[in-house]
Amino acid sequence: MRSRLAAVTAVTALVLGTSAACSSGDSSSDAGAGTIHVLVYGDAGNKVEKQIVETFNRTSKVKAVLDTIPGADYQQKLQTVINSSRAPDIFFNWGGGSIQSFVKADLLLPLDGFIAEDPGLKNNFLPSVFNSAVIDKKAYGIPMRGTQPVLLFHNKKVLADAGLTPPKTWDELLATTKALKAKGITPISLGGGDQWPTLMWFEYLYDRIAGPGLFQRALGGDKEAWASEDSRKALTTLKQLVDAGAFGSNFDSVKFTDGGSPALVAKGKAAFELMGSWYYSTQQDANPDFAKSGLGYTGFPALSGGKGDPADVVGNTNNFYSVLKKTKHPVEVAAFLKLMYSEEFVKAQLAIGNLPTTTNTPDHFDLSASPAYSKDQYQLVKDAPSFQLSWDQAYPPSAMTPMHTAIQQFFNGGLDADGFIKAMQALPTS
Amino acid sequence: MTRATGRGAVATRPGLVWAVPAAVFFGMFALTPLLLVAVLSFTSWDGIGDPHFNGLDNWTALFHDPVMLQSVWTTLLLTALGVVTQTPVSILIGVWAAGKQRNRAVLSAVYFVPLLLSATAVSVVWRAVLDPNFGVPAQLTWLFGDGNLLGTKSGAIGVLTFVGVWQFTPLHALIYQGGARAIPQVLYQAAAVDGAGRVRQFLHITLPQLRNTVITSVILMVVGGLTTFDTVLILTQGGPGTDTTVTSYYMYQKAFKSFDFGTGSAIALVLVVVATLISLAVVRLSGYDRMRGTAEGL
Repeated sequence: MRSRLAAVTAVTALVLGTSAACSSGDSSSDAGAGTIHVLVYGDAGNKVEKQIVETFNRTSKVKAVLDTIPGADYQQKLQTVINSSRAPDIFFNWGGGSIQSFVKADLLLPLDGFIAEDPGLKNNFLPSVFNSAVIDKKAYGIPMRGTQPVLLFHNKKVLADAGLTPPKTWDELLATTKALKAKGITPISLGGGDQWPTLMWFEYLYDRIAGPGLFQRALGGDKEAWASEDSRKALTTLKQLVDAGAFGSNFDSVKFTDGGSPALVAKGKAAFELMGSWYYSTQQDANPDFAKSGLGYTGFPALSGGKGDPADVVGNTNNFYSVLKKTKHPVEVAAFLKLMYSEEFVKAQLAIGNLPTTTNTPDHFDLSASPAYSKDQYQLVKDAPSFQLSWDQAYPPSAMTPMHTAIQQFFNGGLDADGFIKAMQALPTS
Repeated sequence: MTRATGRGAVATRPGLVWAVPAAVFFGMFALTPLLLVAVLSFTSWDGIGDPHFNGLDNWTALFHDPVMLQSVWTTLLLTALGVVTQTPVSILIGVWAAGKQRNRAVLSAVYFVPLLLSATAVSVVWRAVLDPNFGVPAQLTWLFGDGNLLGTKSGAIGVLTFVGVWQFTPLHALIYQGGARAIPQVLYQAAAVDGAGRVRQFLHITLPQLRNTVITSVILMVVGGLTTFDTVLILTQGGPGTDTTVTSYYMYQKAFKSFDFGTGSAIALVLVVVATLISLAVVRLSGYDRMRGTAEGL
């Protein structure tokens, strides 16, 4: 009862409009002549954003105001205010599908004008990252915060005890899997209960087998891409790994978010886990000793005969700042965005454990908590011919639930390849 | 001649004015939102800009949506399982707790604790307890096998039912405790004189006397079961696949994860209609609407 009422009133609150929900903020962009509002996801990263806003305000007449929204509510709040008079001038997002509906509604400012005035807004960032906020050949975002490529992590001791080395190819991964199973160790830890960790396996397999083109075609609306031979091959290959017991049998009852799957690796009950680069700090937080000496990482194995470059990576390319078309202070906004490749920004991000994607980042690696890890990651992203944004963020938000459902069902046998292909073809692409 | 002197007892009933505050609140916080949701269900709206009317599109799509149909069945199944499991346990505990011994009062208070915890906290705790590798299933492998409780349909539904029992039995036991205390002692004394044992007393006095309490409790369980949300959100996220996607969770997914408020509103309305129909049916079939007392003939 309570939950239904809550949901109904929440819908009502949205219907009744943003006026009531958002009037608590201080002077909005249209009221005060001298402010630009910067809306960001509220978390530990705000430390750097606050610092940058202060730096900006020291020299600028038009003052920047930082508005933070607690993480869990960020997207809902953004969706609510973006087409209202309370809309921010600049806002945090994930690039790709996360801003697509705003672009379609003609709310965002293409940043090509800014870039023409200051090419540094583009050239100072790694291209593979910058490109994931390019929609219809126009740039809509400037990278902020850090990049999060997905890596294959492992427990060094478990591999050493079994006389194994980290696999460089898919065949080696299969052989390693077999050897670990024989020793009674779950080869690969998977937080299937969260669904998105399972998706990472699809992202890499499709990239290695078909190359980045297949997913881009599918995202562009070509539904046949999902039914192609490469797509089927990726599914078969993946299914073989699942059926070989590489993930054990209870992965859908395990979560990454509650610490279940990382604990399996840290405690030596499993050997590998495919996860975003935040895995290092996750382990450092929960199992500091293991993170220090026992945690190893490699890129995703190469697949012989695959069309994808083994140097390709997938993951969260970065977060971005996008600009609202109706901002009254475009000049100041452009000046604010320039700070995203400043030395101060890079140093501050590294200090809190993020890996910024500016070209000057390598100059400051000594500031990182783990310089070698930062360096490897940066090199990986820099050398990557393609950096595929996570599928669930590349697609519009409406595709997320059906995509996660199909992913989970294919892994647990609820859907066969045909069923999976059909489910992916039914996803909305715009 | 005033009504008071003319009609006797009727005059002591409260007048219509007394209903005004409640009616105003109900109108503001229940009817108005409901109407707005009804309007929204005929629009396509992603939260940006204005909703656009799209006629019956949401509704026709919903009736052809296998997940919607499945979600209604799952909701009904979970509700039925809730009633079937919670009722007997609640009655036994409630009747037991209606006794007079001091230790029972203390135990009853302890027993009441689960209800005081938020459903979110409860779900998080159960999630940890049921972790297949580090929780209880890892210790009791003979019972749980590989511990894939939340990864299979039957397992996930079983867990949701179990957590429901754990969380809501205290409330219903409390209701039954009150009901059992209201049963006149005379009946038991008479039965004891006639030589009826405790079991017979329970079956022939306590249960029949608790009839209206059962109906109250069942209606609460049904309404609660039909709108189960928080435990699904945290324990299963509607998974594995869509196996535990109950209707309220499906509404949340559509409206707040997919930003499809039109479809979300349509699902909300379906839920309102189904819940109302079932509640009415329970009231009708049980004869609760006739307000028959259990104290007749005393």
